[in-house]
Amino acid sequence: MRKRFNSLPLSYKISGIFIVINLLIFIVDLVLILGINRMSVDMEETYRDNRHLNEMLEALEGVQRSMTDYLNSKSTDSLSDYYINEQRYTELTGELAERVTDRTYDRMERNIRKMSAAYLESVSKTIEDKRGRNVEKYRTHYEEASKLYEYIKAYVRSLNEEQFVSNSEKYTTLARNFRKFESFAMIVMFTVMIASAFVITAITRSLIQPLQALAQSADAVTEGQLDAELPKSRSNDEVGRLTTAFGKMMVSIREYIEGQRLSMEKERQMQEKELMMETHLKDAQLKYLQAQINPHFLFNTLNAGAQLAMMEGADRTYEYVQTVADFYRYNVKKQDEPVRIEEEVELVENYIRILNVRFSGDIHYEQHMDERLKDVKMPGMILQPIVENAVNHGIREMGDKGKIWLKVYRDGERVYISVKDNGKGMSPEDIEMLLGGEWKEREVSGDSNGVGMDNVIARLRLFSEREDVIGIYSDGKDTGTEVVINFPYEGK
Amino acid sequence: MRSKTFIFSILTILCAAAIFVVAFAYFRVHQEKTAEDTPERSYSRYYAMITDDPKSFFWQYVYQGASAAAEEKDTCVELFGSNLSFDYSPEELMEIAIASDVDGIMVCGGDSEEMDSLIDRAVDSGIPVVTMYSDNAASRRCSFVGVSAYNIGREYGRQIVRVREEMERQVGRGRAASNECSVTVFFDSSQLLYDQNVILSGIMDTLNRDAPGTHFTVKNMVVDDSNPFSVEEGIRDVFMEGTEPDILVCLSEMDTSCAYQAVVDFNLVGKVYILGYYDSEKILNAISRNVVFSTLAVDTGELGRYSVEALNEYIESGNTSEYFAADVTIIDRGNVSEYLHKEETDEKALQ
Repeated sequence: MRKRFNSLPLSYKISGIFIVINLLIFIVDLVLILGINRMSVDMEETYRDNRHLNEMLEALEGVQRSMTDYLNSKSTDSLSDYYINEQRYTELTGELAERVTDRTYDRMERNIRKMSAAYLESVSKTIEDKRGRNVEKYRTHYEEASKLYEYIKAYVRSLNEEQFVSNSEKYTTLARNFRKFESFAMIVMFTVMIASAFVITAITRSLIQPLQALAQSADAVTEGQLDAELPKSRSNDEVGRLTTAFGKMMVSIREYIEGQRLSMEKERQMQEKELMMETHLKDAQLKYLQAQINPHFLFNTLNAGAQLAMMEGADRTYEYVQTVADFYRYNVKKQDEPVRIEEEVELVENYIRILNVRFSGDIHYEQHMDERLKDVKMPGMILQPIVENAVNHGIREMGDKGKIWLKVYRDGERVYISVKDNGKGMSPEDIEMLLGGEWKEREVSGDSNGVGMDNVIARLRLFSEREDVIGIYSDGKDTGTEVVINFPYEGK
Repeated sequence: MRSKTFIFSILTILCAAAIFVVAFAYFRVHQEKTAEDTPERSYSRYYAMITDDPKSFFWQYVYQGASAAAEEKDTCVELFGSNLSFDYSPEELMEIAIASDVDGIMVCGGDSEEMDSLIDRAVDSGIPVVTMYSDNAASRRCSFVGVSAYNIGREYGRQIVRVREEMERQVGRGRAASNECSVTVFFDSSQLLYDQNVILSGIMDTLNRDAPGTHFTVKNMVVDDSNPFSVEEGIRDVFMEGTEPDILVCLSEMDTSCAYQAVVDFNLVGKVYILGYYDSEKILNAISRNVVFSTLAVDTGELGRYSVEALNEYIESGNTSEYFAADVTIIDRGNVSEYLHKEETDEKALQ
């Protein structure tokens, strides 16, 4: 029964409970109403005997009156009246008790019945004798009848009074019982009300409880606890189905999230692998290069060359070899930490000197430097690539007319370094491409140390933590180019 | 639904139903019963008892005795007129009883011709009649149950002799010695002259035999009892005249009560001796207080029983003995306490 109840829809359950409770209350009310009805019938019946006696008295008076009328007038009307009343009186006295019992009323009723029979006989004899004009006889009968009439009346009245008193007592008793029944009904109805309130509360709570558990779980999920405990469904109604569906949905979400996590993990692993491969490749390239150029070996070789040149008295050769050695040492050493401006400028000087030896003094180099700024820090390997650019793309093909100016100065809180050539100049498009980083080195040439302009710009921007760190100015073809870099003046 | 809730709900509903049923049953059982709820008892025979004063204790006791005897033969005795709101004379009650076609009539109506003819009428209608206490000898009644008037006279005579002895013992204690003794006997006017004479002769015979040395002056006085208050007036007159006798003999309950009150009022207690009649509580109390010397009580229960038995015998066998005599008892200071006690229990029974 409970299982069948559990599988009912919620609306059926709720209506069912209310119908059952209402039915119960209805039955109780019905029983109470029946009780009240029975008692009120009893109360109505109480004075029935009195009413009957009164009717009887009226009929008796009717008989006596019509008889007297007939004796007076001998009219047919009074005779028919007499017959009607006699009939009625006989009927009414027929209802009286006949037996002799220990109850006074019964005996009184019996006596009235018997006396009435004697009376009616006397009356009928009177009427008969009146018809037969037997004056003597009808007078005697009339007197007899009248006497009996008085006795019967007295009896009926006494009985009526007695019965009224006793009926009043009975009525009082009934009324008292009625009051008691009223209180009893009140108590019963109150009890039923309390009981039904209990039952309704209990059942409603048990119906709502899974819904509350579901709401709690939903709240927990809303707060992000995807692993919150899921309520178990106990019934097959809407709430049960909702709970089951919610549980299934939560399981699906968890599975989906788990799948996502796994695929992301896989992807990350693959990216890592790819990155590692790239790093390894770079590492290999570097190792290869390092293997190719062992700086110490190179420096020692160059130093040996320099000493040889000094011993042979070839001062210029000694100086050249020394310069080359310095250049490469810097190249190897100063890659990842800020350097002093002076060192950078020195590198540029060394570079120009090397180039001038290589190209037999073609490049005119002029340098203006605020000596107070020589110890200011700046990123390394910046100026040499700029100068290299100016040489390679600006003045290479100009022979000995090529000229480079280097200027270091300060404006406010920033230090400016300008590298200017009088070479081919640059088109605005090329300048834009260069600043935008879209300019690509064709290849690492033999004259370059491999550091491109985009690399320079990127490192400068990182160092200054701002975008406008470089300006390239050219008035057009063959007007030369000026590259001005700036970085913060932050003392020495 | 959880099984706990389910069981709880079922239990609550069952409890409510049980409370309802129990309460309803309790109410049905304990509601006050109305008079009609008690079962009635029916009888096969119905006797009417007719007296001149159905409400007096005397007749109530007679009725009790009659009822007890009738009960044995499945017969109901009704004290006619006691539950009517009008007071009817015995003659009228006789007419009602005849018209009511009862099975038997016990009547104490006094000796009148009208009663005689009514008794005859009843007998003609097939209703046997027994006269009680006072007879209608001229009628065709089947039997008479009563106390012999001569016996009553004799009993009173003996009491008078005892009073005389008491008076002699009192000589020297405020009472002068005397050979004279005056006695007044109160008769009710309704009492038969014949009975009065028989009683008087009973008294006289006894006095002459038992106390021949004393000179008794016996006077009889008829008290008018035809209207309610005349008895008291009549008795008071005797005292007012200042000629009160030594001994007063009362032949009815009412006479005794009035005489007793008068003796108290005229401060004659101890001087005038009252010989009463009947054993009502008032009279018994007067005896215990020494105001009434003694009283003569008819065995009322026996009177009633004999009447019923006479009727039963007549109905069953067609004839019965013409005369039944009920006992008379003397109650004086010596035995009054036991009657007083009996009186109390009887009155409780009557109520």
